[in-house]
Amino acid sequence: MAQPTMDRIDARAKVTGAAKYASDHNLPAMVYGHMVTSTIGNGRIVSMDLSAARAAGGVIEIYTPGNRPAFRGTLPPPLAPVFAEARHPLADSEIHYYGQIVAMVVAETIEQARDAAALIKVTYTALPPKSSFEDAKQNPADPPVTGLPLGQPIKKPQDVDIETALAASQVRVEETYDIPPRHHNMMEPHAAVAAWQNGKLTIYSGTQGPAAHALELATVLGVQPADVHVISPYVGGAFGGKAFTWAPALLAAAAALALARPVKVVTSREQLFTVTGHRAASSQTFGLGTHRDGRLNAIKHHTTSQSIVEDPGYRTTPKYYLAPNVDIRLMVTPDMNLPTATIMRAPGDEAGSFALESAMDELAVRLGMDPIELRMKNYLESTLIEAKPYSSKHLDACYRVGAERFGWSRRSTQPAAVTDGDWQVGLGMSTAILDSGRASTTVRVTFRPNGTATVGCATSDAGTGMWTIMAMTGARALEVPVDRIRPALGDSGLPVAGNNDIYGAVGSAATSTVTPAILVAAKEAIGKLVEHATTAAGSPLVGAGDVRYDGGRLVGAGTSVGFGELLTLTRTAEVGAQGTSAPLDESHAYASYAAHFCEVRVNRWTGDPRLGRFTTVVDAGAILNAKTARNQITGGVLFGLAAAMFEEGKVEGATGRISNANLADYLLPVNADTTEIDVHFLDHPDTRLSPTGARGIGELGTVGAAAAFANAVYNATGKRIRTLPITPDKLLA
Amino acid sequence: MEEQSRDDEVSRRGFLLTSAAAAGLTAIAEHPRPAVAATAAGAAGAAVVEVALKVNGKARTLSLDPRVTLLDALRERLDLTGTKKGCDRGQCGACTVHVDGRRVLSCLTLAAGVSGKAVITIEGLADGDRLHPVQRAFVECDGLQCGFCTPGQVMSAVALIEEGYAGSEAEIREHMSGNICRCGAYQQIVQAVRMAKEGA
Repeated sequence: MAQPTMDRIDARAKVTGAAKYASDHNLPAMVYGHMVTSTIGNGRIVSMDLSAARAAGGVIEIYTPGNRPAFRGTLPPPLAPVFAEARHPLADSEIHYYGQIVAMVVAETIEQARDAAALIKVTYTALPPKSSFEDAKQNPADPPVTGLPLGQPIKKPQDVDIETALAASQVRVEETYDIPPRHHNMMEPHAAVAAWQNGKLTIYSGTQGPAAHALELATVLGVQPADVHVISPYVGGAFGGKAFTWAPALLAAAAALALARPVKVVTSREQLFTVTGHRAASSQTFGLGTHRDGRLNAIKHHTTSQSIVEDPGYRTTPKYYLAPNVDIRLMVTPDMNLPTATIMRAPGDEAGSFALESAMDELAVRLGMDPIELRMKNYLESTLIEAKPYSSKHLDACYRVGAERFGWSRRSTQPAAVTDGDWQVGLGMSTAILDSGRASTTVRVTFRPNGTATVGCATSDAGTGMWTIMAMTGARALEVPVDRIRPALGDSGLPVAGNNDIYGAVGSAATSTVTPAILVAAKEAIGKLVEHATTAAGSPLVGAGDVRYDGGRLVGAGTSVGFGELLTLTRTAEVGAQGTSAPLDESHAYASYAAHFCEVRVNRWTGDPRLGRFTTVVDAGAILNAKTARNQITGGVLFGLAAAMFEEGKVEGATGRISNANLADYLLPVNADTTEIDVHFLDHPDTRLSPTGARGIGELGTVGAAAAFANAVYNATGKRIRTLPITPDKLLA
Repeated sequence: MEEQSRDDEVSRRGFLLTSAAAAGLTAIAEHPRPAVAATAAGAAGAAVVEVALKVNGKARTLSLDPRVTLLDALRERLDLTGTKKGCDRGQCGACTVHVDGRRVLSCLTLAAGVSGKAVITIEGLADGDRLHPVQRAFVECDGLQCGFCTPGQVMSAVALIEEGYAGSEAEIREHMSGNICRCGAYQQIVQAVRMAKEGA
């Protein structure tokens, strides 16, 4: 079946510069806030000399711990206090991490605010910071109990003695895998333009969940959620970093209220590393024990991380392979003098899949078995712990089709056996599994007299293709050409279904959540339209008995009228309805799958590892727009490969300073680092998940990509690198 | 505020800033020097420079704080917000514009330093409703996701095709590597550059 495909409808605005992101809003009488951050990692502020800054031209106000903006409440539970910074900006004089906000200067212009900020002199009492994860992981603690499943031990059977089970296994692997901190580094740093009028806040602030952002702002500012209007039609990248509310938006809103003028706050790239969240470092030990034929007997997965946010055990291990003895545990290193840990694309899944899929590769080497055969020997048809059947799983076909497309059979089973001039060439593979699901959400569909229909939901499009998916699904549900659909998103005034859907575009679930609700809302709206056609004054179908909706027209009594014409005749501005999708069928488990295949070339003299080829075969249910889905997968794969090749937030242990907090020193892949990634979609619609059959894809490419790279590096060189990123120094050592 | 041309006795701060502008730009001597005005008090930051720019074909005159970068002049003074600030230190390419036909990082360029020059931004590329071929190719090849780096990518792509650096995939990748795309739409960007070049 040919997959539908369409150019993104927001592309024109994005290639012409017309798309307005948060900081692109310039309001009359607007002033600029510039944050000042701490230059120690632990201790307290003794004094602040603001005299030079106050005397500088254009300065209006300087907020400090001694002159705090008004915050009246705390971030609403259960998620935000765990995944975002619960402490208010400028709450007190205590310094918890290097780069913490200690002041914000507000001035008439951006230059005045920035340069006055540089004139502030802060005197600190500094204490040695607890900033080294390498040190802290030696003495981890039990995770806090939060009510969330993260951090809770998982055992099978309940009284498992994993060390005994491992010892009883005929073949064993036990290794530790380390991943440094990573930073989202979306191209658009967090920014907000806030303005108050009559006690109501309008704020332009990029977010993945406009309704959650409005609720969080309202709760902290102490106003009603209905009095906060978040506008965020375009988001310059998010990756989990804009799922929750961070200091720049809070400070902009509070300052705008106090000064009675619109305030723009734009985070600098360096500040972004510390005043917003990041992916915490993790250290994972995997013990795998098998029978001689490759069947797993025992899986031990023990992780240490800064907080429960990144729980690779919970997120990864119960979804991959069958084994009778399982022990999964997370330990944490609390109270570190480091910036806040939050979710980042495939939280837990990315780290967990790197460790598990590396360990499986090591096990395959030890068994002398093909890595795909080992995975098929332990194939999971239902979830490992609850034994809940998977709705639709074609991972076996992903392996088969991927191996064929990639030429897996040409792989040398001996490592370091293939060379091409100065380059050692190796092939590796991995599995990607990502839980899928959906929230029950509400969509509004509205017919208008100009012949268009609006499809609206308070979700978000940070580059995912949601604008286009909503238009395409609306067109399908209303049986009209897609150019007659006007999607609406990125606005907290649009509908959501309540508590289980306020977070918008997170967990790769926006498409699976929103599209079935569009079908329900369209049906409701058509019902209202038919009723209108038979009752409204001016309609040619008043009193007709058997009026039906057909392809944008109302048909009955031997006549027909387009909905635009109908509403024009009845002088009605709009007819529409809200519809809420049915709850998820909990009898099955849902996940998306992919098999990744990677070729790596390592220079034998410099140790430089380069990406050669990459193929991924994806089983993610129905693909609703092949063009944007492909981009999501290729971008997702690159996000995961970046962890393998480049990314590392470098924390100086002695100071807690992130020494590479800029885009020249924190390496991201550039165009010349990459290659064409071959993507193939299997396209088996998951109709048990929803009527549209679409599962999640946004994070899927990221999962497992680093392991495919690392396994290819091993195949190329015979060197097993268990600490990311895989840099030349590690390959030359 | 008394405004008076004081080219001959600028404040120390104004002098340093103008020197910095000159040091950052090699071609400045060929162009009219910005007039520096200072208040009688000579307070730091109170100096303004008169800057004349031709932006997207239109003459614009601005009285600017000499610290204003070309990027902030476009975004905050002229409301041309298509050009993006991704890092503000020349490391990401999101702020790429054309100055006298050359690719320039507008965040590292002081507005006063390009007085008298012609600036083309992303807003000036299309011919009315008719997109530039590179813009069309980015739409068709899906050479973007979030779109925040896209103006810079498009401005770089237009220039590199004109400069003759779009001969092969490897050449395109090398010459587009000053523009970071965190969404990772690089292969779609390469396809777009190739398509635009073949159509050019």
